[in-house]
Amino acid sequence: MEIITTLINGLSIGGIYAMIALGYTMVYGIAKMLNFAHGDIIMVGGYTIYVFMNITGHPLIAVAVAVVFCVLIGVTIEKVAYKPLRGASPLAVLITAIGVSYLLQSLAQIIFGSAPKMVQFPDIKPIQIGSLKIQVYTLITLVASIIVMVLLTLFVKYTNIGRAMLATSEDRSATELMGINVNSVITITFAIGSALAALAGLFYLLKAPNISNTFGSMPGIKAFTAAVIGGIGSIPGAMLGGILLGMVEAISYNIPAIAPYTDAIEFLILIVILLVKPAGILGKRRREKV
Amino acid sequence: MKKIIRIVSFVVSLLLVLTCFAGCGKKSYTADNKEFIIGLSGPLTGAAAIYGIGVKNGATLAVDEINANGGLNGIKFKLEATDDMHDSTKVATNYSSLLEKGMQVSLGCVTSAPCAEWTNLSYDDNLFFITPSASNDDVPKYENGYQMCFADGNQGKAAAEYVSKNFAGETIGVFYKSDDNYSNGIFEQFKANISKDVKLVETVFTSANETSFDSQIQQLKNCKFIFMPIYYTPASLFMTQAKGIIADDAVYYGCDGFDGIDSIEGFDIKSVPQQVSMLSHFDSKATEGVAAEFIKKYTDKFGADTLNQFAASAYDCVYAIYQAMKKANVDDVTISASDLCDILTETFQGGFKFKNAVTGAGDDVSWDKNGYVNKTAIKFIIKDANK
Amino acid sequence: MKIFHFGRKSLSHYYSTFAIIIAAIVFFVLSISIGLEKSTIFLLEKVIIAVILAVSLNLVVGFLGELSLGHAGFMCLGAYLGGKFATIVEPTLGKDSPLNLVLSILIGGAVAAIFGLVIGLPALRLKGDYLAIVTLGFGEIVKSVFQNTTRESFGGALGLETPRFNKDYLFIYCFGALIISLWVSINLINSKHGRAITSIRDNEIAARATGINVTKYKLLAFTVSSFFAGVAGVLYSFSNYNVQSSKFGYNYSIEILVMVVLGGIGSINGSIIAAALITFINTELAQILTGNLAVLQNLFYAIILIVIVIYGNSPALAGIREKYDPSKLFDKKRKDPSTIKKDDAKWNKIPTKIAMDELLSVDVSNSDDNENDTNNTKGGN
Repeated sequence: MEIITTLINGLSIGGIYAMIALGYTMVYGIAKMLNFAHGDIIMVGGYTIYVFMNITGHPLIAVAVAVVFCVLIGVTIEKVAYKPLRGASPLAVLITAIGVSYLLQSLAQIIFGSAPKMVQFPDIKPIQIGSLKIQVYTLITLVASIIVMVLLTLFVKYTNIGRAMLATSEDRSATELMGINVNSVITITFAIGSALAALAGLFYLLKAPNISNTFGSMPGIKAFTAAVIGGIGSIPGAMLGGILLGMVEAISYNIPAIAPYTDAIEFLILIVILLVKPAGILGKRRREKV
Repeated sequence: MKKIIRIVSFVVSLLLVLTCFAGCGKKSYTADNKEFIIGLSGPLTGAAAIYGIGVKNGATLAVDEINANGGLNGIKFKLEATDDMHDSTKVATNYSSLLEKGMQVSLGCVTSAPCAEWTNLSYDDNLFFITPSASNDDVPKYENGYQMCFADGNQGKAAAEYVSKNFAGETIGVFYKSDDNYSNGIFEQFKANISKDVKLVETVFTSANETSFDSQIQQLKNCKFIFMPIYYTPASLFMTQAKGIIADDAVYYGCDGFDGIDSIEGFDIKSVPQQVSMLSHFDSKATEGVAAEFIKKYTDKFGADTLNQFAASAYDCVYAIYQAMKKANVDDVTISASDLCDILTETFQGGFKFKNAVTGAGDDVSWDKNGYVNKTAIKFIIKDANK
Repeated sequence: MKIFHFGRKSLSHYYSTFAIIIAAIVFFVLSISIGLEKSTIFLLEKVIIAVILAVSLNLVVGFLGELSLGHAGFMCLGAYLGGKFATIVEPTLGKDSPLNLVLSILIGGAVAAIFGLVIGLPALRLKGDYLAIVTLGFGEIVKSVFQNTTRESFGGALGLETPRFNKDYLFIYCFGALIISLWVSINLINSKHGRAITSIRDNEIAARATGINVTKYKLLAFTVSSFFAGVAGVLYSFSNYNVQSSKFGYNYSIEILVMVVLGGIGSINGSIIAAALITFINTELAQILTGNLAVLQNLFYAIILIVIVIYGNSPALAGIREKYDPSKLFDKKRKDPSTIKKDDAKWNKIPTKIAMDELLSVDVSNSDDNENDTNNTKGGN
């Protein structure tokens, strides 16, 4: 019984990590940059949900608004902060991303104050199967993250835009020569990543309805770790890495002796995997050239 | 030539920058004082602001009252409060700016980790402090430091005694934060003092994940009594997430970190089916005695939102300093922090009994030689179980 | 005797170093003649620690061209182990023993350097953002491990107590450590090893082709950088009497990085000035911008960071940059001709570049992995 609940918890937290990691990995694959501000998009989504839950009281409306708002913010950031740096050194882009992350955090603090805010969702009784008791929200998270991942995989595989994205991540210059507008592919990637971040914000809030301006930092770093473990740039890799990390977290919290070191263990796994398989579990090793 | 001019100009400009903060010359900071200055550093903003504001208000109330009654030998008091946002790295700056404003005696810091810094800094200058709320065992480790609240270790011990007495032979849950000194400090003493008959289910969380407690709740679901030596924010999240999984007749038992849990915006404690209680030194629902008087005065002036045991504790701290200074008959307004500290420590160690305390159960309050407070603890039920 | 090895650079290139030496002498004289205020001494120590951190991080970011996001982790290691060593030997060596201070600084630095080596060895063999990721993870591990230690070993969450050295003299040792770290850094950069390191930054494959042992030089730069981060950590632990590992998170590493970036990546003078100014301004602002206003400071830094990086690096703004180059405003004659035209960014726009890439490429399937690396910021001039 213990094992099943641990498994479900691990999968649901892993699902959230995977959703955030997808944003990191797609942007890395296509724009070749580490978008450090991605975690803060989750925070933006969370606050939007908080505001619209207070106004409308309806979770679905709040989420819909949050998704739209996050997409707008994500695309704006891309246009204003990252696009001018296309072709500049990766270090410069990375530092700008860090600057954007700080900017979003401080703006959130100016608007909402530094004290954490609570979001009130409707109370639903947990589901009971035998001696198993599981929160409904945990199951919703689990199911929704699976649906999102399946949809995203189908989207990338079978739509024109999705294939353009794959092509761009394989070879940007060749894609450009094929007549694909790489700039709009990058914009779409940011839009999808931000929408996923808004959803991740919702699922995080369903787990823990408490939001502050650093709400997205730790999930962001964890998901980023997951993306690297799975192989940054690889979509199935991000899903695998996210779920792996979620399982490790859930299992580790169940063993009292190592529970305090959970974060250390997660980052240690990252380092070990990078040593053994530098490109991550499903990542492709790219050859260098002059 | 140009090169030399460039070198010289840069050197001079850098030196200017460096020397503009070199306020030189050691002098007595308290020489120009017109009133006794009490220093305080606490989180007036940020996640722990509820404590800092409570403490500041409580202390302000006491200072205003003392001044309205003529002060000490005609000399008034003045409270200088600074904001450290519960961040240890801000304390040193606050401390030196307070010292340079003429601080003679202090309430230390409101929270423990910053207060560890304060303990070190104030020891160098021999500045007396009595903290209303920084409960770590090491806070009063030097002779100049005192606590008005119970030390963490003592809270852990008291909780262990309570549990050993009431839950012998049963299984109880513990939920604590392993990388937090407050939580850890209480838990260590709790574990060391608990009787062997009680079986413990230990669960932890860390600062990297303070929000999602599914795994821990699953482990604790069969416990009827859960000891939670943590702050109110994660506690409220735990209670929200545990609804329906942990039995409705279970009891959540916290320490002073629970104070304020019933005034979180957006968290309705009535929606928690279980009993929520804590080990406290102040009855914030008192209807008679000095505590009730304090509650009335406080709510009239600041409203009920920030009223907690630390506000009461701060009120007591100021009065304790006042009574001790009165006993020692201090009448020099320019007395240096160090001289005043010697007088106060001598008084506090010389059988000083603090009377009319708002906190505790109305008894006289005294301090042992380590600076720990001796007063009566109460089990305070914040919210009873839903029937 | 030639103490500072400046290579071909003139002395004026290191004006900040001389300013620091002069400042050290001035403050020393002040402290023994009229005495300094407590807050001044504390601020001085903070500034010195920040400068050591920024200069040492600049070795990795500016001269090696790799990004480290775990500088605070190395600092944390130094702070804890140096501080612990000092606590252990204090009873034997006595209070305020200069030997104890020097030894613990060395030990803190050495431990950080060893970990730098251990972390760098695998991470630096790989090209790309791996060092950033590994150091980020490393920093979090160090923080988490020290936070969960027992009270007796490393103080746990409340932090480790360190010996209380006399504050009137501690800042002089800090100045000493700073001057030594600058001396080592400048000498390293201007030696043949330094030129090897910068050549790796500019073009790793070309550097390897000329026979440079890339991994060795990368490790050298990274280890030296970690060593001084450790030294700064030990000084920090003595300055505060207490180390709390929660301070040394990812955000602190970023703070140091901000100093390096604002000062100019690859400029020692810039790092010194930026670190000193930012620390000074932060301390002053902390007293003015209290409470909810404190966040304005972060907002301000975020905007400055974004604007400076975009202005300084955007290929589209190259023309404007050249027109308003501040160094040209001062003296036109001294401009090094090789850096006047910086047209590598424009090269990306020329269509034939793709064909060139494919011809040169070993693996035809990916063509734009590396093209961005070449126009990295220019070195320490």
